Amino acid sequence: MKPLTYLALFIVPMGLIIAAVPPNRTKQYKLTAQELLDEVNTRNQYVTSDAVADMLIKKDPSLRLIDVRSQDEFEKFSLPGAINIPLNDLLSDNYTDVLNQDVKMNIFYSNGTLNANEAWLITRQLGYNNNFVLEGGLNYWFDTILNPQKPASTSPDEEFAKYDFRKSAGTALGGGSVQAAKTEAPSSGKPVIKAAGKKKKAAGGC
Amino acid sequence: MGPLSVNELISENTNLFLAFIIGIGFGFILEMSGFSSSRKLAGVFYGYDTVVLKVFFTAAITAMLGLLFFSLFGWIDLNLVYVNPTYLTSAIVGGIIMGAGFIIGGYCPGTSFCGASIGKIDALVFIGGLFIGVFIFGIGFNLWDGMYMAKFLGSPKISETLGLTDGVFAFLLIIVALGMFWVAELAEKKFPREEY
Repeated sequence: MKPLTYLALFIVPMGLIIAAVPPNRTKQYKLTAQELLDEVNTRNQYVTSDAVADMLIKKDPSLRLIDVRSQDEFEKFSLPGAINIPLNDLLSDNYTDVLNQDVKMNIFYSNGTLNANEAWLITRQLGYNNNFVLEGGLNYWFDTILNPQKPASTSPDEEFAKYDFRKSAGTALGGGSVQAAKTEAPSSGKPVIKAAGKKKKAAGGC
Repeated sequence: MGPLSVNELISENTNLFLAFIIGIGFGFILEMSGFSSSRKLAGVFYGYDTVVLKVFFTAAITAMLGLLFFSLFGWIDLNLVYVNPTYLTSAIVGGIIMGAGFIIGGYCPGTSFCGASIGKIDALVFIGGLFIGVFIFGIGFNLWDGMYMAKFLGSPKISETLGLTDGVFAFLLIIVALGMFWVAELAEKKFPREEY
């Protein structure tokens, strides 16, 4: 037999098989459950409200805030420069380029941290990098940046430094006017989620 | 699992090293199949030797089948495989220039280095011409960057354009390739050349 016949005998059946099977359309998960659990335990996905405020004031071009709440809530109040990707639309093809990239630092936020963390988990499972979560969500943002509590007079100096920074940041980011919006926002019903004691800067990213 | 480097299973350096090994293998196979002879390469345009067509098309359909089966088994995520973006105008113009150079020079860029590695003078001259072309393209880029970037289509797949699944298109391509091989062998019988 000629080589061409051999080739045809092998490759035509293979072609028939590949034509007959349905294509694999599932988005593959990139991390095993164990790897994801390890990442969750490091809590590296969290960015503190102070760090975000600092980046906002310095107009850090790498920062991209992503509001995962509904469009209604987004229109009532959002952080400066934030874009809206409702959690329901997270997997829409329109947003793949936004979520799966290595230039910007995406920070998800919701009222608390639950929805933002859900968005982070799903994108992380898909293997996307550079996505983070605003620690404590908008509730904590209001408590720390827009309405900081003066520390007790016995507090260490760092607490006062932090308070001064938050106060000036809150003013720069429109504390007063936003305060009014807060009461209208449906977020008020939700419990305030206090962030865990230890604060970490975002690791990795840009 | 794959692509290995995109999923960070291997480092960028390991990736380059693997590319180096595969490149040596590729060059070795090219030389073994006689691709370092410009007469053999040019033969495909005159019909007396169509080994170029057969080797490259066999490679393409083998790789295509391999990737589709790997994807079927979940070994590779085809969405993460880099596909050259299509700029239609420059693809056509570049194809014409490349084809003309292939007929005139008897080499394509890869095989010219293959020929040069065993000391073929014509291959060395071809490489010289290649670098002159690269130089002219680079110097005059401002003159033709409009054309170069024209008609950007993203990274379309023919199967998507035709509305077929990848598998069905692959099967059709295999049939077309086998038909081409058959025609090529007819041409070899029709335009035989004893020595080249």
